[in-house]
Amino acid sequence: MMERICDLAAVPDGEILRVELSGYRPLAATLLDGRVYVFPDTCPHAAESLSKGWVEDGRVVCGVHFAEFGLADDEVVNRPVGCPDLVKFPVELKDGAVYADLSKAEAA
Amino acid sequence: MSALPAITEPFALEDRPAGADVQAEVERFYYREARLLDAERYQDWLDHCVDRDIHYWMPDMDTRRRDDPRGTYAHGEAAYFDDSYAELSTRVKRFAQPSAWADNPATRHLHLISNVEAYETGRSGLVAAFCAWMNVRNRNETDQDVLHGRREDVLRRSDSGLKLVRRRVFTVQNVLLTKNLNTFL
Amino acid sequence: MCKPDMAPVYPQASSYPHLADLIRSERAQVDRRIFWDEEVYKAEQQQIFARAWLFVAHESQIPDPGDFIRTTMGEDDVIVVRQRDRSVQAFLNACPHRGNRVCMVDAGKKARGFICNYHGWSFGIDGALRGTDGKVYDTDAHFEKAQINLTPVAQIESYRGWIFATFDPDAPPLTEFFGPFTFYLDAFLDNDEGGTEFIGGATRNLVDCNWKFPAENFVGDILHAFWTHQAGAAAILGGGVDLGPHYAERAFQASVFGHGIETNLDKVGNTRTLGYPELVQYVFDRYPAMVERLGETRARMVGAIGSCTIFPNLSFLPGQNTVRVWHPRGPHQIELVSWTVVNRAMPEHIKELYRKGVMMTFSPGGVFEMDDGENWEYATRTNRGFVTRHQPLHYALGLGTEAPEKGLPGHVCRGSLNDANQRQFYRRWSEFMRHDNWGDLQAAETAPPQHQEAAE
Repeated sequence: MMERICDLAAVPDGEILRVELSGYRPLAATLLDGRVYVFPDTCPHAAESLSKGWVEDGRVVCGVHFAEFGLADDEVVNRPVGCPDLVKFPVELKDGAVYADLSKAEAA
Repeated sequence: MSALPAITEPFALEDRPAGADVQAEVERFYYREARLLDAERYQDWLDHCVDRDIHYWMPDMDTRRRDDPRGTYAHGEAAYFDDSYAELSTRVKRFAQPSAWADNPATRHLHLISNVEAYETGRSGLVAAFCAWMNVRNRNETDQDVLHGRREDVLRRSDSGLKLVRRRVFTVQNVLLTKNLNTFL
Repeated sequence: MCKPDMAPVYPQASSYPHLADLIRSERAQVDRRIFWDEEVYKAEQQQIFARAWLFVAHESQIPDPGDFIRTTMGEDDVIVVRQRDRSVQAFLNACPHRGNRVCMVDAGKKARGFICNYHGWSFGIDGALRGTDGKVYDTDAHFEKAQINLTPVAQIESYRGWIFATFDPDAPPLTEFFGPFTFYLDAFLDNDEGGTEFIGGATRNLVDCNWKFPAENFVGDILHAFWTHQAGAAAILGGGVDLGPHYAERAFQASVFGHGIETNLDKVGNTRTLGYPELVQYVFDRYPAMVERLGETRARMVGAIGSCTIFPNLSFLPGQNTVRVWHPRGPHQIELVSWTVVNRAMPEHIKELYRKGVMMTFSPGGVFEMDDGENWEYATRTNRGFVTRHQPLHYALGLGTEAPEKGLPGHVCRGSLNDANQRQFYRRWSEFMRHDNWGDLQAAETAPPQHQEAAE
């Protein structure tokens, strides 16, 4: 179901915003090339916070083992063995706010 | 006479190995050069083996990650040799001094050459050659230093046979396991 | 309930008067055990290398955040890393999990962090543990990630671009460790706008000698140049080393806290030995500007025959632009790492000539350096003999040549052909063996004489 994540204006361009919504594990949002992406803040590899990483060359880079998860595509660079893909939630923009379909998001 | 390759350019056309005659000539060149150096006949080496346009380079071999942009060596940075004929001659001048104390008594030298490959260069009068080398220097009772590495060379045809006009020496050592380099590699 | 204490440990110095007494200042003699014994070497690791300020890098080697070099402080492997806020930090290159190195390379650019190859523990460029591999530590009830970091050096400071670090939280600031020796350092580190930079890469080799032999050689032994370096001088200069007709009134040795410089004040003597006349011309042409900036004495020093050691084991040759650290690898071996230093303001072709000149003279194949190694190896090795070890060594050249001079800080002696700086070097060594605190160390005999006025 579509949940309100945050104000559109709050999403940083090229940086990662951590968003805590009650009932869900922490989420992250970023703006890249005019598109908003929403994904779990928890790196699929080893439970570290992706908002402590950064965005480089169109990919979210985890600051721990430097796995790079593509945003516009699903390319993963430098994937540690066994690390799954990063889930990206479907996003809608409405009335200056960001909404995302969190039906696949992990509950808190 | 063809223009000479720069010291950092590829020397060999790797899909054009030289013919058997040239391969044999290159091997003879290397073995003779090694024998002259073993005997410390440095002036003979300069006179018979080294072209006046020589560029002789042995870079420091850093330990670097595979994806490092600078790589394990870089021309223009630290080097053990980066010589023109003038610099090689200066080194030979020191060897010729009776007061070269680190060479009296004489070091016992051995240059072993192997893995010789001769290739065409696409430039007339020039032959490219690869080889692997082992250098042993033994002094006094038990001082022995052994170094290993490869060379990438260009030899130029002259009236008196092949002469060395480009040399890149790559040792497999990062920290040289020797107190000095009192030879040519 | 068991709880690990993961705080860094900076071992304290102790006091070894019986080792300090191996230096007999009243006889200008040293006991040869200082060059041979394992016991002495172990004490040096604790008393000197675990607390002195040691050179680790030049700022120019790590310009951008994430740039790093790997080096050693004594025998401790260390990574020196440029931080995002442009400061520099340095850490022990050992994972706090099982101790494996986290950095296997000599240097790198723009690292994102350091990951240990053993269990995937990942450290940021600030040394903080970012995470481990797999999720097992996340569910470990007692794991405190924030407490576990690469051990930082206790202090790190930069003097005119030269970065030094210490493992001792109580060490005084770097400029106090130098004392007024900075007066002499500035002649080399600050003789032109923009200061210095290192040319890339390094030459490295092992020499089987005790670290103190090359350190004392560079601190004050210009005498050896006449005999040892005859062949190198003949090859480059066509003649011998010559201190020239003004030696008696100009040449001197100066020492502060064991750091020492000897100089012939001949403007270009060392530069000349690089073998490129253009460099000599360059230094001559710069002389008036250097007089303006540093005063006449120091301007004369810049290219002059001379040598310098910063206690304990950093040395360089002014004018010849080689900088090196004699890293101890046991009592009978050093790893020598050597760089070429140039002024940032020098034109590119001048820097290139310095690079080649240093290679030709002071690298393992260098026509000068080639003849030094065997001297130091056998000076060390003869001490293998039990009886030989008991014999005295002569360090008494130039006794009574002390000549304090206005404007020259430290213990100054007339004539660079002297053992005065060597005696001060060993006196400082002895002070480090004897004193367990910096108060005593900085008030000891090698401190600059009390009555001195400030240098011009």
